Amino acid sequence: MGKLISTTLTRALLGLLIIVALGPILWTVLGAFKELRDIVTPVPKLIFEPTLDNFATILRNPTIRDGLLHSVIVVSASVLIGAVLGIPAAHSLARHARRWGDDVQFFVLSLRFMPPVAIAIPFIVIYLDLGIYDTLFGLILVYLITTISTVIWLAVPAFERVPHDIEEAAAMEGCGPAEVFWRFSLPLAAPSLFGALVFTFVLVWNELLLALTLAAQNATLPVVAASITSLGKEVPWGVINAATVLLVLPPLVFIGLLMGLLNSMVRSGPK
Amino acid sequence: MAHIHCTDIVKSYGAHPVISGLNLDIPNHEFVVFLGPSGCGKSTMLRMIAGLEEVTGGRIEIGGTDVTDLPPGERGVAMVFQSYALYPHMSVADNITFGLRRQGVSKADIAPRLKQVAEVLGLEQFLDRRPKNLSGGQQQRVAMARAMIKTPKVFLFDEPLSNLDAKLREKLRTEIRRMHLKLKTTTIFVTHDQLEAMTIADRIVLMRDGMIEQMGTPDEIFERPASRFVADFIGTPAMNFVTAKLEAGLIACAGSIRMQLSEAEFPSLNPGQEVELGLRPARMDLCAPGSANALTGEVVLVENMGAEGQVITEVDGAEISFVTQRFRDLSIGDTVHFAIRPDHIHVFDPKTGRSLRKD
Repeated sequence: MGKLISTTLTRALLGLLIIVALGPILWTVLGAFKELRDIVTPVPKLIFEPTLDNFATILRNPTIRDGLLHSVIVVSASVLIGAVLGIPAAHSLARHARRWGDDVQFFVLSLRFMPPVAIAIPFIVIYLDLGIYDTLFGLILVYLITTISTVIWLAVPAFERVPHDIEEAAAMEGCGPAEVFWRFSLPLAAPSLFGALVFTFVLVWNELLLALTLAAQNATLPVVAASITSLGKEVPWGVINAATVLLVLPPLVFIGLLMGLLNSMVRSGPK
Repeated sequence: MAHIHCTDIVKSYGAHPVISGLNLDIPNHEFVVFLGPSGCGKSTMLRMIAGLEEVTGGRIEIGGTDVTDLPPGERGVAMVFQSYALYPHMSVADNITFGLRRQGVSKADIAPRLKQVAEVLGLEQFLDRRPKNLSGGQQQRVAMARAMIKTPKVFLFDEPLSNLDAKLREKLRTEIRRMHLKLKTTTIFVTHDQLEAMTIADRIVLMRDGMIEQMGTPDEIFERPASRFVADFIGTPAMNFVTAKLEAGLIACAGSIRMQLSEAEFPSLNPGQEVELGLRPARMDLCAPGSANALTGEVVLVENMGAEGQVITEVDGAEISFVTQRFRDLSIGDTVHFAIRPDHIHVFDPKTGRSLRKD
């Protein structure tokens, strides 16, 4: 009997948590398909005539379209370069410099302790001097601090989990260090590395402050989305909702992939 | 042709020496076991021969070629790891043939070789599986197949059986031994299990603290241990040790114990000298009271081992055990007489621990 009560309570609590977590997302998604008069009614409407007008508006709006394009360019470039530089660095740290590994990892992590504002202001000055203020290149450059450090930080343990014996067995068969890395370490660490890249992607995709301070004209999507809210009295709720959906879609898809991957890893488990 | 020649091998990690000046010759076709307690340097030695660990000093030759500075892949050796180290992202067949495919051997040449090793090791029906879907014993066989298919000059085994249960360990031990009798490839096998070493080796290299304590056939190691350490390490149940003083006529005395030593074996001994006697439990048995070299003790414990039993007795306050088939008649508290033949008594220097037997 007591067990029944506790299971019921646990389920009720879980249900409540799910509602709290998913409610706003659901409301936003619904709002994205509503016309303004369906949104601003005093009685919330669950049943309405869906419209794609909001999405049409934002995709027709050059500012938002450019923001999306800028976001895609900046985020994919910084994550890609971060991976290309960070993953080999992490492998070297994990394999050849384990005794410095902890210190280096802490240093890399400490870069993330600093509030972004503290970086932003000096960067404005430096970028103005260098003539790369308000450029996508400048934004990619500053995001690389985040992506490289996060990739290293998450990839070192991923490579440490690759059994050393397997790399040695490959070396016994004549593989040089580069071949061992490409054919063994990288594929074996790939699931964890993919997780690291997704996490890094989400981190920079959602970044607002640096983008806001360092790129006024070449704004990314979070900056544009934030600016829509300050359009005046006539708040275009439907458009905001649609922009938000557009903004959260890539992270949500990636997180979904990540969860699926984690689940499959847990299920197959260690041998 | 693949004898192995190690000259003045030195290995240190920072200032800490692990192996200091080790010389070793392994003739072609021989099955050599590196045996010793953990931390004695046996695995390090094997990994240096494999090329996975650099030597700090010295020279390693395999088949007449100086391989000291060659990478592992160019030494003509194949290794079986304790953890098997199979490639989890490849099928069993791909695991076995990876080395050959990498060298660019044609598919037509690989197929019959794969078929042959798979047949020898009983892996035919597993070739399409992933390693994680195999049992420990099957994984070990895949690891062996991967080493064998390359027909290397030398096989290296790093404690390959220690992750398996006792029964499987025994079975695979026999298989490895049989394989060696057929292929005759020079083999080095590292283990800390003295029974495994005794049963599988042509020659045992017993190591301690980075030095070779004794090198010899299993019989030599067992019957003529060079030191107290070797005598203690080899043999189950473990050897009994008794400190004694020599009297005229090479009689070793310790309390009530009187043992006649063999003059032919120990010509260097003098009366008045202190020695340590080593008595193997398996070399002693029950005897009539008053027999030559008899010990008299009180039974403390009888351990049934099936065909025979280990009897632990108390002699002058010290525990001495022996092995007998007639253990079922004995019970705790009985007074027993048991004796050893003079040529089975080992005598060690109590200070250096070296054997005092003539060479």
